[in-house]
Amino acid sequence: MTTYIIRRILWGILLIILVSALTFVFFNVFPSADPAILRAGRNSSPATIAHIRHNLGLDKPVYTQFWIYMKNILLHFNFGYSYYSGASVLGLIKDRLPATLSLTVGAAVFWLLAGIPVGIISAVRRGTLLDRAAMSGALFFVSMPVFWLGLVMLFLFANDIGRFHVFPGAGTYVGLTNDPVKWFTSLIMPWIVLAATSAAIYSRLLRGSLIEAMGEDYIRTARAKGLTERRVIWRHGVRSAITPVVTILGLDIGALLGGAVITETVFDIPGIGRLNYDAIVHSDFPIVQGTVLLAALFIIVANIIVDISYAYLDPRVRYS
Amino acid sequence: MTDAGPPPQGESIAGDDPAPAGGPLLTVDDLRVTFRTDDGIVHAVDGISYTVEAGKTLGIVGESGSGKTVSSLSTLGLTRSRNSQIDGRIVFEGRDINAMSDEELRKIRGNDVSMIFQDPLSSLHPFYKVGWQLMEAMQAHQSMSRSAAHTRAGELLELVGIPDPKRRVDQYPHEFSGGMRQRAMIAMALANEPKLLIADEPTTALDVTVQAQILALLGDLQRRLGTAIIIITHDLGVVAEIADEIAVMYAGRIVEHGSTGQIFSAPQHPYTWGLLKSIPRLDNPRDEELVPISGRPPSLINRPSGCYFHPRCPYVQEPHKRIDPRLESVAGESDHTVACLLSTDIRQRIWEGLQTGRDVDSLKRLAASGNGRSAPATIPAAEPGEEQ
Amino acid sequence: MRVSRNLIASAVTVLLAGGLAACGGSSSSSSSGGGSNSSTSSSAQAIPLKPGENPVGQQLTGKTKGGTLTVLSNGDFEHLDSGQAYYALDYQIIQATDRPLFSYPPNSVSTVRADLATTVPTTANGGITDGGKTVTVHIRTGVHYSPPVNREVTAQDVAFALERGANPNVGNAYWPAYFGAASPAPLLGSTSSKYQGGPLPGITTPNKTTIVFKMTKPGAPLLIDALSLPLSAPLPPEFVGPLDKKSPTTYGTQFLVATGPYMVQADKTGKIAGIGYQPGKSETLVRNPNWDPKTDFRPAYLNQIKVKVGGDSTVIGQQVLKGSDSIQLDTVDNSIVKQAYQQDPSQITFTSGSGDHYMAMNTQHGVFKNVNIRRAMWAALDREAIVKARGGALVAEPGTHFIYPGVAGYDQAGGAKGPPVDFNKSVTGNATAAAKYMKAAGYPSGKYTGNQTIQVVLSNAGNGPAIAQIVSSAMTSIGLKPKVSLVDQSTMYSKYCGVPKQQIDACPTVGWIRDFADPLSVLYATFYGPSIVPTNNSNWSQANIPAVNTAMVKAALVADPAAHVQAWANVDKMLVNEAVAVPEDFDNEPQIESKDVAGVNQLWNEGQWDFAFTSLKNG
Repeated sequence: MTTYIIRRILWGILLIILVSALTFVFFNVFPSADPAILRAGRNSSPATIAHIRHNLGLDKPVYTQFWIYMKNILLHFNFGYSYYSGASVLGLIKDRLPATLSLTVGAAVFWLLAGIPVGIISAVRRGTLLDRAAMSGALFFVSMPVFWLGLVMLFLFANDIGRFHVFPGAGTYVGLTNDPVKWFTSLIMPWIVLAATSAAIYSRLLRGSLIEAMGEDYIRTARAKGLTERRVIWRHGVRSAITPVVTILGLDIGALLGGAVITETVFDIPGIGRLNYDAIVHSDFPIVQGTVLLAALFIIVANIIVDISYAYLDPRVRYS
Repeated sequence: MTDAGPPPQGESIAGDDPAPAGGPLLTVDDLRVTFRTDDGIVHAVDGISYTVEAGKTLGIVGESGSGKTVSSLSTLGLTRSRNSQIDGRIVFEGRDINAMSDEELRKIRGNDVSMIFQDPLSSLHPFYKVGWQLMEAMQAHQSMSRSAAHTRAGELLELVGIPDPKRRVDQYPHEFSGGMRQRAMIAMALANEPKLLIADEPTTALDVTVQAQILALLGDLQRRLGTAIIIITHDLGVVAEIADEIAVMYAGRIVEHGSTGQIFSAPQHPYTWGLLKSIPRLDNPRDEELVPISGRPPSLINRPSGCYFHPRCPYVQEPHKRIDPRLESVAGESDHTVACLLSTDIRQRIWEGLQTGRDVDSLKRLAASGNGRSAPATIPAAEPGEEQ
Repeated sequence: MRVSRNLIASAVTVLLAGGLAACGGSSSSSSSGGGSNSSTSSSAQAIPLKPGENPVGQQLTGKTKGGTLTVLSNGDFEHLDSGQAYYALDYQIIQATDRPLFSYPPNSVSTVRADLATTVPTTANGGITDGGKTVTVHIRTGVHYSPPVNREVTAQDVAFALERGANPNVGNAYWPAYFGAASPAPLLGSTSSKYQGGPLPGITTPNKTTIVFKMTKPGAPLLIDALSLPLSAPLPPEFVGPLDKKSPTTYGTQFLVATGPYMVQADKTGKIAGIGYQPGKSETLVRNPNWDPKTDFRPAYLNQIKVKVGGDSTVIGQQVLKGSDSIQLDTVDNSIVKQAYQQDPSQITFTSGSGDHYMAMNTQHGVFKNVNIRRAMWAALDREAIVKARGGALVAEPGTHFIYPGVAGYDQAGGAKGPPVDFNKSVTGNATAAAKYMKAAGYPSGKYTGNQTIQVVLSNAGNGPAIAQIVSSAMTSIGLKPKVSLVDQSTMYSKYCGVPKQQIDACPTVGWIRDFADPLSVLYATFYGPSIVPTNNSNWSQANIPAVNTAMVKAALVADPAAHVQAWANVDKMLVNEAVAVPEDFDNEPQIESKDVAGVNQLWNEGQWDFAFTSLKNG
């Protein structure tokens, strides 16, 4: 098991290096804008542009630039500085991460709290009106664009522009450590919006896998043992059915930590997604690279955690 | 429980053991189970009756799809669902299981009546340790501490002959061999010292030598614990050693019911004959072919007219396609019943012919000759036996 | 540049170059013009620009003091450093925190006034000498830097601030165009390609309050206009110099000092990062404790200005209209413009003269080398339809020439109707005129019969596809076979329209915004032949017509204001006659505010808010 984890981690590191190399190549092969020209301004002399290129290290061959970049990250944990504001990329990421973390983790709690019970009830009451209503609702939420849902929520329930003044609206996010109450209330709507689609997906997924699990022989055994139906469903059925949910939960959280651009934009939450988006707009390569790397890191770590939790969830994996 | 010292609670249960005065432990009376499906109504069990006495063993034999598993699951109420309809009575120790609430039923399951299943791998939860699953079975019905339950789980594993039970108790099902798993299943079924153990194809998934061990174990445990057993199998050979009585099921009905001796020495139903011919026997010449029963079991949605077995019966006569036989006593043997339209005489001659290896065609002619005499008996109630 | 407006957001200038800025211009909508915008644009539409909708003659004095203004913005600022800022949004902040030598008061679109300087130099007051080659400026005493610098501002600080514009670590976007090699009247010594900041022969400071500019050509009026740009705001070398050694400089991103009534909130060392400035998140302006109202013309009513960056523009728009104490900084969403105009007209203003769009045609290569085909194209294009595509009469009117409303010379160059040439007569497309010029071009049928296809590249943002269709059908109507590519706006500039080698035939979604009142700032970078460069080119038509080039250089150096403007109007007429491009639309900038905000718009800066004049009605 330990060697397995070590092997996975080494793979992860290799993958991250590969992702950064790819980002580097993409950025250099398809330059959306030359950062030096961007900085030099209109009618700038070639000498000025050359000077800037030199200062930014853009006059070196791409592989040298990449080497320097990776060396800074690996040896000094330095992700470089924004071409645009000169701010430290790591500092910016540290500054933005709490918002994204709050948004993602909170939304995950929401969608699990909604998706798991709905999935279980639908599976247990399969074919009933309740099940059909829940699954139609899920289909509705799955097919709803996040952007649209966000705007609808704001125009209905925001306490500034909404029809009913219920929750704090866009741009009210504050850090958890500044004001926990405001932090919570300002995130309620973003959580719901971000969670809606996932809750729907999770409930459908769990319903399917629980129906399958409840047809297994060991469920019959559990019932024959005289266990209560609640225990049969939770300890025997859900315990087995939850594995695929854990898999996508890990990946979803990993991906969202890389930035939930749309939700962050609609609700004006300064997170990683917006940092990345703004950086792309400004051709601010160090930030783009930093955020892409971060996203890759999250996804890879999430994958490793999923694999490890698989071993925890399913003892058969541990021995194979 | 061990020979050396059964735990106190085991003793106390054993003390109460005798079934309520006079009556059998389990009485199944005209049990009917139907399932609504998209294709139509499945008549899985179609009016069966039997009894099981305390400490005795009943074998229920039939091909898959004969309703034998459904009937035994119904005994534990495990066929209850929105799509099923269960009629008739299942009286356990004087109480009708069919009339019980889910909670009352739960208290009986795994406690007074427990069950083991065909495939021990899929029947044990793959994510939990064997000991944990045993403890769960105990704690569902008894309040006992975790450590006491854990100790008891080890004892149960020892009881069913699992070596090194202290270590095994903390292993997962996939770390057990097939036979070990079935032993663990049996241990789990015995955890609360049930009065009745229902074993559904307990040896089918196992190889031949392990089969024999498991059967020996069941027999041994029955002798030691006094548990009544219903053993369900498609293989008459399995029940030959262990069962006191045998009921043969076909298409949701019992077609023959008698003591093990009766079934093996003087089987009455052509279906039973077929089952007997398909048992591999050590005393038969090695080159003798096993004769499976030709054809497939009928659909339980659209059942055949007349005798359900008639499409597959080599001795079928024209009236059999119209007349539905009832389960009647075999002449001279009140505790041996059969549902067959052939006369007792003819059946006996055919069975003898089969024993001596006569060719099937001549036996068919024999059946046809009997038909001429039985033909006037158009009233279904007319017993074939009357002809004698 | 990503400009703060709805329609223009998709175009207006080279993103890469840092684009355009916005400075004043004389125009119809100025206080002097008295709202001629509405009266002269009769040909286009009849927007009832009632008082309160167009902020002409806004009241600037006697307002309530105090309070905090909330500023909502979809996009971030680019630079808070007065030396780097070249963006309308940045100017809003700089106008409140920095004091250039000259400034446009909010109501003025044409005339600068002295700000840090004591007076605007003229020949009469001795400020302009040497036949217009030398300009002498005296600066006020009693102006102090915000903490931690605290000391009084000197003339040397102004020289330092200007010179650092050439420092590559600062990279001021307009230094070359108005002070350096690309200027019609460069400062002495600035044309050397080796000059990268430091002392310049063209800028001298005989004493602490005097600064003297020497040019190689008599360009005094242009220089004075250019000194209204934020680059002329003084900076303390002892504070900024060390920061400028980094590439890019950390002045403006990490540290900042102010001379105006407000400063970006900072710690004791002058650090703003993480305090008053969080990139992509927020900016906070507080009062500058060292600002002395006696030295300034700004009333500075507000106590604090809090800028929140991010969010969706429809949400921001609703928050401003329904909320309190807030204004929107950048692009107002089209749906919000309509809603505000219909339901809350007192909360929206439209400022004309916020830029233009035109279809640049390649005069160096392909079919459009032929001037008559260009004229036919002009005649054929339905400009009214393009206005509709851009959001309708509220935010645009049909373009008829190149000096647009708000820029000095607009009326002289033809006003709303434009020059009376037949291909310009009808804004809805003129088939007869188009056919006439196709015949003149050698196609007797009135339709192009050659086999060249026309490479058309335009921005895919918002209205792009609609414009592509309008342009295509106009081209088809004169027999041209267009091949249209819709691309990202920055790609359009950086890879296609701004790269002459690509030989793109037509770029229908390019646009430009003036830097200040002088019409030079509209025509020079966009149509002056020698300004064509291999990349990052802003002369998208690659216009290089000797007579026009000569006329531009001459016009730039005309000293008399009226004659200066007339000279440029004449250049505009020449460009129209040559049909170097088809003007499509002149744009209006909508701005929205909450009910309880008494906002003041900078008419010279596309109607952007002036924080030093804006107040809250309830204080």
